[in-house]
Amino acid sequence: MMNQFRSGDAILTDWREAAGRFETTVGAAVLGQARAIRLLTIALFARGHVLLEGDVGVGKTTLLRAVARAVGGAYARVEGTVDMMPTDLVYHTYLAEDGRPRVEPGPVLRQSEDLSIFFFNEINRARPQVHALLLRLMAERTLTAFNREYRFPNLQVFADRNRVEREETFELPAAARDRFLMEIGLEAPRDAEARRALVFDPRFHDTDALIAGLDGDVLDHAALAGIAAAIQHGIQASPAIEAYVIGLWEALVRPAQAGIRLPGLDMEGLVQGGASPRGVAFLVRAARVRAWLEGRDWMVPEDVRAVFPEVMAHRVFLEPIYELRRAAIMPELCRAVFEIVPAP
Amino acid sequence: MRIRCLALILAPLLSGPAGAQVHSVEVRTPRPFGYFLGDLVRAEVDLVVEPGFRLQAASLPKPGALTYWLDLRDLDATASVYGDAQRVRLGLTYQTFYAALDARALEIPGFTVTFVSESDHGATTVKAAVPAWSFNVSPLREIQPPARDDPRDYMRPDGKVGPGNPRPLLLGAAGSATLALLALAGLARDRTWWPFRTRRGRPFALAARRIRSLARRPDPTPHYRDALLALHVGLDTAAGRRLLADDLDDFLKTHPAYALEGPDLARFFAASRRTFFGPGPEPELGAFALADLAALARRLAHAERTA
Repeated sequence: MMNQFRSGDAILTDWREAAGRFETTVGAAVLGQARAIRLLTIALFARGHVLLEGDVGVGKTTLLRAVARAVGGAYARVEGTVDMMPTDLVYHTYLAEDGRPRVEPGPVLRQSEDLSIFFFNEINRARPQVHALLLRLMAERTLTAFNREYRFPNLQVFADRNRVEREETFELPAAARDRFLMEIGLEAPRDAEARRALVFDPRFHDTDALIAGLDGDVLDHAALAGIAAAIQHGIQASPAIEAYVIGLWEALVRPAQAGIRLPGLDMEGLVQGGASPRGVAFLVRAARVRAWLEGRDWMVPEDVRAVFPEVMAHRVFLEPIYELRRAAIMPELCRAVFEIVPAP
Repeated sequence: MRIRCLALILAPLLSGPAGAQVHSVEVRTPRPFGYFLGDLVRAEVDLVVEPGFRLQAASLPKPGALTYWLDLRDLDATASVYGDAQRVRLGLTYQTFYAALDARALEIPGFTVTFVSESDHGATTVKAAVPAWSFNVSPLREIQPPARDDPRDYMRPDGKVGPGNPRPLLLGAAGSATLALLALAGLARDRTWWPFRTRRGRPFALAARRIRSLARRPDPTPHYRDALLALHVGLDTAAGRRLLADDLDDFLKTHPAYALEGPDLARFFAASRRTFFGPGPEPELGAFALADLAALARRLAHAERTA
C-alpha cells in the first residue's frame, strides 16, 4: 500500500520499517506463527502485556525469548511454581560466605529500572499471591521494595501458560487477566513445510543457539514508549469506526439483544459480564497500532477485527456452565459479532 | 314407575332394656314378586333408636356372596334425626342367581346390627335384629320346550344392532384432519418449507434501484454516503454476513458469478473505506464517482439475475 503519511510523520515510517525487520527476525526463529508474531508486534507498540497460551512444545517460550532478544534491553525471567511467594520475585535471600544472611534484589529488581521485558513462564503454576503482585507491576509499572518505590517505565510482562494441564495450577484472577492486553493462543503450525523444518532441521533443536543467532536490538526499546504514544495520537478514528466499535462492544456483552443465535447455547444467559471499558480501550489501542503497521493513518474495521479475539475474548465472563467450553464458544461468539454488526 | 310395596315388620319386643332403646325396625322392598335369574333386589331398612346411639359399622353385613344363590352387591348407611330419636337407613342391593324351574318364594336371611352409646362411665351396646324377608322368583323359560330338529333353534336369535349414526365420527375426523393440516402449515412455516420458503431476494437489484434514484437527484454529492451504504447492504445480504474490504477475495471465491466485477468491487471498497473511515471522499468523488457506483450496481444486479 502506498505511503499515506504526511512528511512530518517520517519518523513513524522509519519505525514501521523497524517493526517489519523485527517481525522478520522473530519469524526466522519461530516458523509458521506469522499471526502470533504480528499480534506480539502490535502488543509491543501498544505497550501491552501479553499472555501466551498453548499446548506443550509449540514454541511459546522460544517465541517470547526471540521477541525479548529482538527488542533488546534488560530482561528477567522466572518460572512459576506452586511454592513461589511474591517476595521471591522481589528479593533474593541467601547465606553469604561469611555465614550471614543477605537480602539482595530479586529477579524483578536486579536489572533495576532498565527492565524492559519481564518474562513469566508457566504463570498458572504460581499462587494467587504472586498474581496479586503482578497486578500492580502490570497496571502501574511500579513496585515497592527496600523501602522505596521502583519504577519500570519500559516494562512489558510476557507470560505463558499451559492450556492442557489443570493439576496444581491456579486460574488467574479476573483482574489480572483484564490487565493483559492480549491472550494469544498458540497452535503448532499446520503448514507441512514448516512442520518438516521444525522436526528435521537441527537449527530448531538447540533453542539457545537459535536465539543467540538472531540479530539483537532490532528495536530501540527505550524509545518504544514514545513511539507508542505517537502512534496513538497519529492514527485517526472516524465517527463511523467509533460507532462500529461501540456496536461490537454492545453485541459482545448482550448477544441475545443483538440477534446472535448460536446452536445449543442459551444466548440470554451466556455472557455474565466483563468486556470492561478498559478492555475496549485496549482494543482501540491495538487496532490503531495495526492500522499503523498496515501503513494507514486512519483505522478501518479490519484493524479491529484482526485483534478482536485476542484482546476481548479473555475479558468476557461466561455463565459458569459454559465456562468449561470457553475455548469453543468464544471464537464462535466473536465471529458471530462481526457477522452481525454493520460496518459502516 | 315403581310401585313401592310396604312390608312392615314390627320387631318383636326384645326382653331387657334393649327393647326400649330400639324403637322400630322396618324393611321396605319395591315388590315381593316378579324376579328372574340375575335380577337386582333392592331393600331399604329403617332402624330407629334412642338418641345417643350410633351404628357400629363393623356389625353391618359385608358385601359379597351370602349363599350359593344370593350376593349382597352394595350397602350404604345414612344416619338422620327422626323426631327426638335417631334413625339409620340402610340401603341394600342383593342379586339373585337362583335358576328357578317354577315360581317360588325365597328367603333373604336376616341379620343383626349393633348400636353403641359411649359415655364417661363406659359404652352401652344394643343389638337390633333385621328380620328375614322373602320374595318370589320366576323361571325364564318353559320346562319342556317343543321339540326342534336343529338344536341351534333352541337358541334365541342374536339381537339386532340398530343402524349407527356416522355423522359425529365423520365430523370428528374432519376436525382432526383440519387441525393436523394447520399444524403442518405451522411446522412448514417454522422450518421454511415449500410454500413459506422465501424466494432468494435480489439484494443487488434493490441496491441498483436505490443508487439510481439517488443519482438522479439534482445535487447527488451529499448522497454519496447513502449510495455507498446501499451497495454495502446489498453485498452483506448477498454474502449472508457483514463484508469488509479484506473479505472481498473470499466473497468472489464463494460467489463466482460476480468474479468479473472483482476489480471494480475492490475500487468500491477502497472508496468506501476512504469515505467512512479515512480522510473523506476524494474531491469531486475522484476515481469512483456516483455514476461509476450506479453502473457497478447495475452490472451486479444483472449478474445476479443470470446467476
